[in-house]
Amino acid sequence: MTAPLALRSVTYRYPASRSPAVRDLTLELRRGEVLGVIGSVGAGASTLLLLAGDLAPRVTGGELTGTVERAGRAALLLPTPWTQLSGMAFTVFDEVAFGPANLGWPRERISASVERALTRVDVPHLRERDPTSLSGGELQRVILAGILAMEPDVLLLDEPTAELDPLAARRIWELIRTLAQDGMAVVVATSDLDALCDTADRIAWLEQGAVRALGATREVLVEPALTADTAPGSTSIAAVWRLAGLPEPPPLTVAQALERLR
Amino acid sequence: MTAVLELAAVSFAYGERAALTDVSFALQPGERVALVGHNGAGKSTLMRLVVGLLKPTAGTVLVGDWDTRSRRPEQLAHRVGSLFQHADQQLFARTVREDVAFGPRATGVSAVDSAARVARALEALGLEAVAGEHPYDLPPPERKLAALAGALALEPSLLVLDEPTAGLDRRARERVAAALAGRAAAGTTLLVITHDLEFAAEHLERGLLLGHGRLAQDAPLSDLLALGSRLEDLGLAPPPLSRLATALSLPGRPIRAREVAAGLASVAARNRVS
Repeated sequence: MTAPLALRSVTYRYPASRSPAVRDLTLELRRGEVLGVIGSVGAGASTLLLLAGDLAPRVTGGELTGTVERAGRAALLLPTPWTQLSGMAFTVFDEVAFGPANLGWPRERISASVERALTRVDVPHLRERDPTSLSGGELQRVILAGILAMEPDVLLLDEPTAELDPLAARRIWELIRTLAQDGMAVVVATSDLDALCDTADRIAWLEQGAVRALGATREVLVEPALTADTAPGSTSIAAVWRLAGLPEPPPLTVAQALERLR
Repeated sequence: MTAVLELAAVSFAYGERAALTDVSFALQPGERVALVGHNGAGKSTLMRLVVGLLKPTAGTVLVGDWDTRSRRPEQLAHRVGSLFQHADQQLFARTVREDVAFGPRATGVSAVDSAARVARALEALGLEAVAGEHPYDLPPPERKLAALAGALALEPSLLVLDEPTAGLDRRARERVAAALAGRAAAGTTLLVITHDLEFAAEHLERGLLLGHGRLAQDAPLSDLLALGSRLEDLGLAPPPLSRLATALSLPGRPIRAREVAAGLASVAARNRVS
C-alpha cells in the first residue's frame, strides 16, 4: 500500500537563508497513524509541515532537494490560524464551506461535510457567527473545521491547541485519535508533550532540521538525551520522576507513575 | 498602600453581548497572578480594559491612581506593559532592538537608560544574537519573545501578558519564567492570562478564575487547582503534577515540580518502586 505521505532525503532552504531548515529528512507516514513532531524552536518541525502540505517551496520559495510524495489530499492547520481565514465569508458556515466549495463538490456534499466538521470540533453553535468576531479558541476550531470539511487524507497540525483552554484542547486531542482510527494520517507538531504522549503512535524528534530520533512514543519520550539543555524535554511526570531521583526509565503519565509506585 | 491595579464592579459588553459582569479585585506590587478561564470567559476583554483599549460599560478600572476612562492607552503604557495573544501584531520596527527600544523611548525614558533597559530585556530572554534581525525574519516563538522583551523594557509597575508561553519550547519557557521572576522581584506586578496551568502552578501564586464573564474564584493557585470537577465545569483541567499529587495524597497539596518531586521521593521510599 502506498504511504499517504513520504519524504525522501529532503533538504530544504528558505529563500535568503544560508543554512537549510530541514536536512536529509526521510520519513514515511502510515495510514491511520498519529505522528508527533517535537523539537526546540528552529528544529524544523513547522518547516516539515509546510513541506508536507505543499506550501514549501511552492508558496514560500526556496530550494528543495529530495522528494515529497503524497497519495491524496493533505491539509495544514497553521500555528497562526487567524491568517487562514478566507476573508470571503460572512458566517462561520460559509467559512468552513469555502474549502469544499473550491473543490467543486455538489451543494449537498458540501453542507453535509460542513455540518459534520462543525460538530466534530464542538462549534455547531457558531454556525451563523461572523468569523471575524470569534475568540482565539473559537477561531482555531473553526479553521480546523474548514480543513476537516475538505476530508483530507493527511492532516497536518502545527500547535493545534495553542489557543484553546485545557478542556477544549483535550477534546481536540481525542478528535485526533478518532480521525486516525477512521484512517486519516495525522502529523502534529506541538510543544505539549503531555498531550502528545497520550495521542501519538510515533514521535519524530527533530534537531537542527534533521531527525534525531524516530520511534514509538513511549520509547522516544523516555530518551535521557531529551532532557539536555537544548532538547525539548519530556512529559511533566517524567521530569518530576527524574527530579525525585527515581529509577530510569521514567513513567510518562500519571497512570504509569501510580503503576510504578504500587 | 495603593493597589497597582484595581477593578471595582467592572462590566463590559460588546453591543448586546455581555463579556464581563461585575468583576472586582485588586493587585498589590510584586504579586504574581494568573488569570485563567475557558475560551470566551472574558480574559482578553479584561486585558483590553486594563491597557485602556476598551473602557468599562460600568464600574471602574484603576491603574495605580489613574482611572482608565480618563487616560489614553499611550499614557497608560507608562505604567502597564503588555503582550497580546497575537504578538506578531505588536512588532513593527526594522530590527528586534529598535522594536524593544520603542516603548522606553516613547514613554520618555532617556537614551542612556533606554539602552540599558533594552540590553537587560534582550539578555533576559536570550535575544542578543538576533537583536539586529528583522522581527519577521524570526520564527513565531522568537517573535513572541521579542514582543515580550518590548514589554519588559518598559520596566512598568504592571505587566499584563496574554498567553506568554503558548507555542514556546522548554528553554524559551524557562527564559520567560526567569525574566518574569526578575521583574516581579523588582516590584512589577504580573497578571498572566494563561491556559498553561503547569506554568502558572510553577511560577505564579494567586489565581483569578473567570467563568462566563464573572470572577468565579480568587484564591492561591494551590487551592484553585484542587477544585477538581468545579474546575472542569469552567473549561480547565488540573495539570498532571497536580493530579499526581492528589492521587498520591501528598501532604500540603504541592503543585510545583520540586515539591511534588520531594513528595514522590518519600512515597517511593515507603513503597517498592518498579
